[in-house]
Amino acid sequence: MRRVLGLVLAVWVGLWILALSLGPVRAQGQQPIKVGALFILSGNFAGYGKSGSQGAQLAAEEINARGGVLGRPIQLVVVDDQGNPEVGVREARRLILQEKVDFLFGIDSSSVALAVAPLTDEYKIPLVVTHAATPTLTEQCRPYVFRTSNNARMDAWAAAALAATLPVKRWANIGPDYEFGRVSWQDFITRLKQLRPDVEVVSEQWPRFGSTDYASFITALMRARPEGVFSTLWAGDMVIFARQAKQFGFFNQVKYFVNPVGAALEVLAPLGKETPEGLLVSARYWFLYPNTERNRAFVEAYRKRFGEYPSYNAEEAYAGLHMLARAVEKAKSTQAEAVRRAFEADGGLVYDAPEGRKRMRPEDHQVFEGLVWGYTKHTPDYPFAILDRLRIIPANDTAYPTQCKR
Amino acid sequence: MDIGFYLLQLLTGLAYASTLFLLSVGLSLIFGAMGIVNFAHGSFYMLGAYLFYAFTRGQVEGFWGGLLSVLASGLVIGALVERLLIRPIYARPEEHQILLTYALLLILEDAVRFFFGAAYRSFPMPEAFSSPLFILGSPFPSYYLFLIGLAALFALLLWGFLYRTRLGVWIRAATQDREMLEALGVNVPLLYTAVFGLGIALAALGGAALLPLQAATPGMAVDAVISAFIVVVIGGLGSVWGALLGAVLIGLLQAFGILLLPEWAMVFPFGLMALVLLLRPWGLLGRPPAVRT
Repeated sequence: MRRVLGLVLAVWVGLWILALSLGPVRAQGQQPIKVGALFILSGNFAGYGKSGSQGAQLAAEEINARGGVLGRPIQLVVVDDQGNPEVGVREARRLILQEKVDFLFGIDSSSVALAVAPLTDEYKIPLVVTHAATPTLTEQCRPYVFRTSNNARMDAWAAAALAATLPVKRWANIGPDYEFGRVSWQDFITRLKQLRPDVEVVSEQWPRFGSTDYASFITALMRARPEGVFSTLWAGDMVIFARQAKQFGFFNQVKYFVNPVGAALEVLAPLGKETPEGLLVSARYWFLYPNTERNRAFVEAYRKRFGEYPSYNAEEAYAGLHMLARAVEKAKSTQAEAVRRAFEADGGLVYDAPEGRKRMRPEDHQVFEGLVWGYTKHTPDYPFAILDRLRIIPANDTAYPTQCKR
Repeated sequence: MDIGFYLLQLLTGLAYASTLFLLSVGLSLIFGAMGIVNFAHGSFYMLGAYLFYAFTRGQVEGFWGGLLSVLASGLVIGALVERLLIRPIYARPEEHQILLTYALLLILEDAVRFFFGAAYRSFPMPEAFSSPLFILGSPFPSYYLFLIGLAALFALLLWGFLYRTRLGVWIRAATQDREMLEALGVNVPLLYTAVFGLGIALAALGGAALLPLQAATPGMAVDAVISAFIVVVIGGLGSVWGALLGAVLIGLLQAFGILLLPEWAMVFPFGLMALVLLLRPWGLLGRPPAVRT
């Protein structure tokens, strides 16, 4: 009797798990469209990868709930690339050859994105990048590489557009010592000097990416008496830097601290009430902007699903998967060449994301969008600092020239 | 010249050195006395930070109690790990130790992510240290001075322990000749448990003491163990004072190096390590390997 009971129970639990995994609505009887998503799910940047994979997951659930794409459900296969190019390439190859994915998607680290990009030519599998921000990726003009989030050059140009309006002549930099930090500073200061020839650079500091001690850098920076400091410290680096700099009274001395990736919730949430007020920061999406029905609905849906506010990486991945679905819909095919044409046609694919309109530039497959900046401020409504006195940089102000031609 | 500024820079360098010392001295001590290359050393540093966060629930009032609890639990955890995991493999080839401690690193990282999540965890600055001290007119955060004091205190205690107590004498003897020590009737296995516990406790304390200035993540263990290895390679693997010297050299090199060559901050520790490996491969205060016949 007990054995029979156990068997029944096991079968029932098994069926129940199966039913759960199938989801509420299914595009029946069709092969799924498989999307292989690479995110950093371990190590210091796992918070970013988690947000990205959650955003993609929400988008996939929405798409499948309305019947999928071309009548086929979207199936996400999320893997951990560890932010390591070798692991990224190995996993991407495995996704293509074993999982037989139709698309590659996501990618947080620029070095992983650059390493994976050649596979798109080799296997004719399109890659939609939603986070990695090196401008080099799209300037390689690969036919099947698309980026639906803004890149570091656009961020640096937006920062320069804002910096040009500030009463600041003496600028300094503190950035992580790798390509992203170096290229961002070059782009920023070059652009700023075009807009404001009278600015001067008084100090440049290059701590190792992943540093845990910034004290010497902070004192050296303060000694140069800059009026404005540009920084691309991000993730834990920014959290740790802000806490240590505050101890030195850095933010009282430096009038403007400008960081294009400082408004990531992965930074503001752990800093909590410790975030200094008045930092001029941005992120590629800010969950309280724009105040539209569309954005509020997205924030609400995301909070209901995951119990937290959507960070920029979540929204960019969410928007990226919707954009890919739209391209497939338009192409009526998952075939690489057809999808490429769909992304490029009619002056570039347009998608109204929660953050506003995204338009893909057909030449280099880079999406352009308005960017939101603001000054950090504490309010009783949130346990972390939010953006105040918003400054919106229109997409055109960041449309740097491309060398790609189609 | 600007004496005040250079003094400030000296102190920031020493503060960095203090954190490096607490992190790496246990690694060196454990290798010296036991011959174990503990790849998981950074993981116990990380565990210290997370345990501190858990004991205090992130509340500033729990600061002092939290530090003591982390020190005590570091001792217990270290002793348990030695008894249950390390002891069974002393007789095995060295690769087994490396595999075991590396596995421990991976397991602890995942365990921390499982219990605490991937988000950065930090701890508010205790009230006592919230206002800066003025040194020749320049403000300097008092917590950095506390860190320097803490490292100096533990360096002194360690000195007293190693040179003024019987247990310390045995530990130093173990670095010289383990068989002879055992033949003289010293309970070497128990000694090993104590050494491992002590080394782990110091690393855990270092991780906890840094939380008001840093942020804990599951990935910090790997960064920490790399820093620790750089320090002990420079100072000499197995030498406690080498760890101190290595930490101070790296701290000062960073503090003053960036004034001369701001572009090259990242190269300093690795450059110093390369130089030491070329000129004195056993480290500044290490002992050259005995010639075996």
